[in-house]
Amino acid sequence: MNRPIHDAVAAPSGESGARARPMLSREAEAVYWMARYVERAETVARMLLVDSTLLVDVGDLAPALRERQWHAIHHIMRVPEPPPDDQPLGQRVTRGMALDPLNPNSLVSCVTRARENARAVRESISAEMWENVNTLHWSLLDGAGERFNESPDELFRRTMSDCLLFQGLTDQTLAHDQRWLFAQLGKFLERADLTCRILQVKSDIIRDAETTTELALRNLLWMATLRTCCAIEGFRRANAGEIDGQRVASFLILQADFPRSIRFSLHHAHAAIRGIRAETNPGAADPAERILGRLDAMLEYAEPTHVLLDGIGDLLHLILATTADAAVALHKAYYLR
Amino acid sequence: MFDGYQSDGLFDEMFDDRGLPRPHYAAATERLERLGPVSFERRRQMADVSFRNQGITFTVYSDQRGVEKIFPFDLIPRIIPEAEWRMIERGLVQRITAINLFCKDVYHAQRILREGVIPSDLVLGAKMFRREMIGVDPPHDIYAHICGTDLIRDERGKYLVLEDNCRTPSGVSYVLENRAVMKRVFPALFAAYRVRSIEDYPYHLLQTLKHVAPRHAPDPTVVVLTPGVHNSAYFEHSFLARQMGVALVEGRDLVVEDNFVYMRTTAGPRRVDVIYRRLDDDFLDPLAFRPDSALGVAGLMNCCRLGNVSLVNAVGAGIADDKAIYPYVPAMIRFYLRQEPILDNVPTYICARGDDRRYVLEHLHELVVKCTNEAGGYGMLMGHQSTDAERAIFADKIRHDPRNFIAQPIVQLSQHPSYVADGPRGPAFEGRRIDLRPYILYGRKIVVMPGGLTRVALRRGSLVVNSSQGGGSKDTWVLEEDGLPDPVAHDIPDAPGERPSPDRTSPGQPSPERIPAERTPMYRTAPSRTPAQPTSPGRTPEARS
Repeated sequence: MNRPIHDAVAAPSGESGARARPMLSREAEAVYWMARYVERAETVARMLLVDSTLLVDVGDLAPALRERQWHAIHHIMRVPEPPPDDQPLGQRVTRGMALDPLNPNSLVSCVTRARENARAVRESISAEMWENVNTLHWSLLDGAGERFNESPDELFRRTMSDCLLFQGLTDQTLAHDQRWLFAQLGKFLERADLTCRILQVKSDIIRDAETTTELALRNLLWMATLRTCCAIEGFRRANAGEIDGQRVASFLILQADFPRSIRFSLHHAHAAIRGIRAETNPGAADPAERILGRLDAMLEYAEPTHVLLDGIGDLLHLILATTADAAVALHKAYYLR
Repeated sequence: MFDGYQSDGLFDEMFDDRGLPRPHYAAATERLERLGPVSFERRRQMADVSFRNQGITFTVYSDQRGVEKIFPFDLIPRIIPEAEWRMIERGLVQRITAINLFCKDVYHAQRILREGVIPSDLVLGAKMFRREMIGVDPPHDIYAHICGTDLIRDERGKYLVLEDNCRTPSGVSYVLENRAVMKRVFPALFAAYRVRSIEDYPYHLLQTLKHVAPRHAPDPTVVVLTPGVHNSAYFEHSFLARQMGVALVEGRDLVVEDNFVYMRTTAGPRRVDVIYRRLDDDFLDPLAFRPDSALGVAGLMNCCRLGNVSLVNAVGAGIADDKAIYPYVPAMIRFYLRQEPILDNVPTYICARGDDRRYVLEHLHELVVKCTNEAGGYGMLMGHQSTDAERAIFADKIRHDPRNFIAQPIVQLSQHPSYVADGPRGPAFEGRRIDLRPYILYGRKIVVMPGGLTRVALRRGSLVVNSSQGGGSKDTWVLEEDGLPDPVAHDIPDAPGERPSPDRTSPGQPSPERIPAERTPMYRTAPSRTPAQPTSPGRTPEARS
C-alpha cells in the first residue's frame, strides 16, 4: 500500500483522536497583519483625536511649530505630506489621515486592510471578531464623511473603542493557541513600532523648539505625547506629577507594567513568538525568537539613566531596526514555509 | 398587504385558484396580513443589516473591482407540506443513485453506451468527459457526492427537474443563514410551525467527506479548496469550512510531493486526505488540465488517480450534468435501477439529433436554447423575447455545432408572494416566480437536506432567478408530519407590544385548516391579465459557482 514518505508533522494522532487543526502559513500571516492593522487604526485614531484637541487649545503656538506638529503624524506613519490645497492645514491633515483611501495608513485604509485579512481567515477567527471588524469597516465606508463633518472627535472615539473591542474579543473569544499568539505578536510588534515612532518624532520636535518655547508649553507638548500613547494617567501615577522629556521617554520606553511601553510590548511579542515556536517546532529557538529575546532582555536589564544619557535617539533607532529584523525573520520562519 | 394580489393564471404556492390560502399557508398568510407594512419593513431592514454585518455576501463583477452584495432576502417563507416533500425526496435519491451508477459505468464498462441507451458520441465527445478517469476507482464508487438539483413547478404545480448540478453546486450557505435570520426576525411564526431542521447539514457534509477518505487515513485531514477571496462564492467556502471546523485552503497552500498532497502550515507540511474542492475540473491541476491555471495544484490529478487523496466531487462527475446528457437521466433510472422516474424532466430537444434539430430550428421563437456546457445563464436564447437577428445567429451556431445546444419549451414557473417595497400602491405582496434547489449528499447513506434554496425572480414578470440578475432567495420550510400550527400557538405575537387581536385568542376558534374556507378570498382572481403583469415565459437557470 502506498505510504507517504514522511508524514511531516508527526501529529499526536491516536492519543485522543482529536488533533488540533494545524494553522496554514497563509492564515498565520493574515491573522498577524489583521492584528497589526487594528492596532494601527486605533493609534491613528488616537493621534488624530489628541492632535485636533491639542492644536485647537494651544492657539499661541508659533506657526512653524504648529505646522511641524500637524505634519508629525505623517512622519510617524511614514506617509508623504499631502500637497497643499485650499483647506486649512489641520483639516487637510485630519481628513486625509482619517478618510483618504489612497493614503495607505489612513484610518479607512487600516480598517479596510484589517477587515480584508480577517475575511481571508474567517474560519480561523471567531464570529464575534469578524462581525466587529466587518461592521466597523462598513460604518467607515458608509457616511464616514458626514460623520467626520459633524464631529471628527466622535468618529475617532468610536473607531478607537471599536478597535479596542476587537482586541478584547480576540482575547475573550479565541482559544489562546497559535492563532491568538499570532494576533498577539502582530499587535505588540505594531505597538512597539508605533510607540518608538511617536517618541522619536515628537521628541525631535520638542527638542528643536526648546529655545523658543516656554516651559509650560513644552510640558503641554510632552503631555500630548503621553496622551497619544494613552499614557498620561499612568505616567502621573508613576512620576508624581513631575514632567520632563527624560521622564516621559523613560516611561514610554522602559516602564515594565505599562501596556503601551516599548518594553512591555516587546516582552509580550517575545512571549508570543516563544509560544508559537513551542507549538509548532518544539526545539531550538528560531531566529525571530532569538532577536526578540535579546531585545527583551536588553530592555529588561537596561540601566535607565545609562540608556537615557546615551541618547534616546540611538536607542529608539536600535529598537526599530531590531523589530524590523524580527519581522523579516518571522516571515521566513512561518509565512514562507 | 395582499390587496390587488394576482395569480395571472400561474400556479401560486400560497393561494389556490379561488384566491384562498392553501391549508399549509393559512397561519402564515394571516400572520403576514396582520403585521402591516411598517412592521414588515422594520423586520426586513433588521434582516438586511444582519446579513451585511455578518458579511453574508456574494461578489458581483461589474467593473474591475468586485463589489460585495447582499443576496436579496425575501422574508416570506416558502412552505412545503410533508407529503409533497416525501415525494421530492424519493425522487432525488433515485436520481443521484442513477447518476452515480452512470458515472461509474461510463468510466469503466460503458454498458449503457454499448447497449445503445445513450449514444456513445454524446458521452465520449462531451467536454466534461474526463479520459483521465477511465479505469480509476474513486472510494466507494461515488462520483457525485454533493448534488444540487434544480426543481421548478409547471402551471399545474407539478414538480419538474430543470437540471442536476453535479460539479460544485453553490448556495447551501444561504439556506442555512436564511434560516438563522428567519428565526430571529419571525420567531413566533417559525415556532408555530413545526419546520424540519436543516442545521445538521455541515455535520452530514463532513461525514460524507470523511466516508470517502483514502484507506490509509482512518482519521483523515479534510480541507475545503477555494479559488480565493475574490471568488463570488467565497463566503460559502469559508462558511462551510468554519461549520465543519476544517481548513480552508487555496491552491498556493497545497503542495504535492511523491504523489501525496500536503498543506503548508506554520509547523511544516501536513498531509491532506480529502479535498472538498470548489473549483471546476479545468482549474484543478495545470499538469493535467488547463496549463494556464494557477488556482489548483500541480500534480493533484496523479495523487487522485493513485488513490492518495480523494476529491469531492470526483473529477469527471460533470459528465452527468452536461445538458445534452440530462435528457437521458430517466433512461438511466430505468436502465440501472429498473424503476420509473419519480420526478420528471422538462422535455428537451437535443440539437445533435437530426429530427430534434430540425424542429428546434423551425420553432426558435417559442423555445429556450441553451449551451450544453455553460452555467450561470450564459449562452442562452430566450426564443420569445429574441429579435430576428438574434435567432439567426443562434440558428447558425446550432447548425455549426449542434452538439453544443439543447432546447426546451418555455416552462412557466410557479409564483409565490414576495414583499415589494416600491409597489405601485406602496409596499405590498406581489407574486414572483420561484424555483427550488435541494441539496443531496451521497456518503455512507444518501441524505437530502429538507428544504433547499428557493430562488426568487425579484423583478416583476421575470423568470430569471439568478442572483446576478436581480434574483433573491427565501427560506424554505419543509414541515414535519402534522407540522401545521395549532390555532393558539400561531397567535403568539412576534414582538413585544404587538398583542394579538382579542377575537383570535378566544377559545373555540376554528382550526387553521378551516379558517380559509370561512374567510373571504385574499385576492380576486378575475382580472388575471393586467398590463402591469406581462407574462413573459422562459427562465435562466444559474448553475454553479
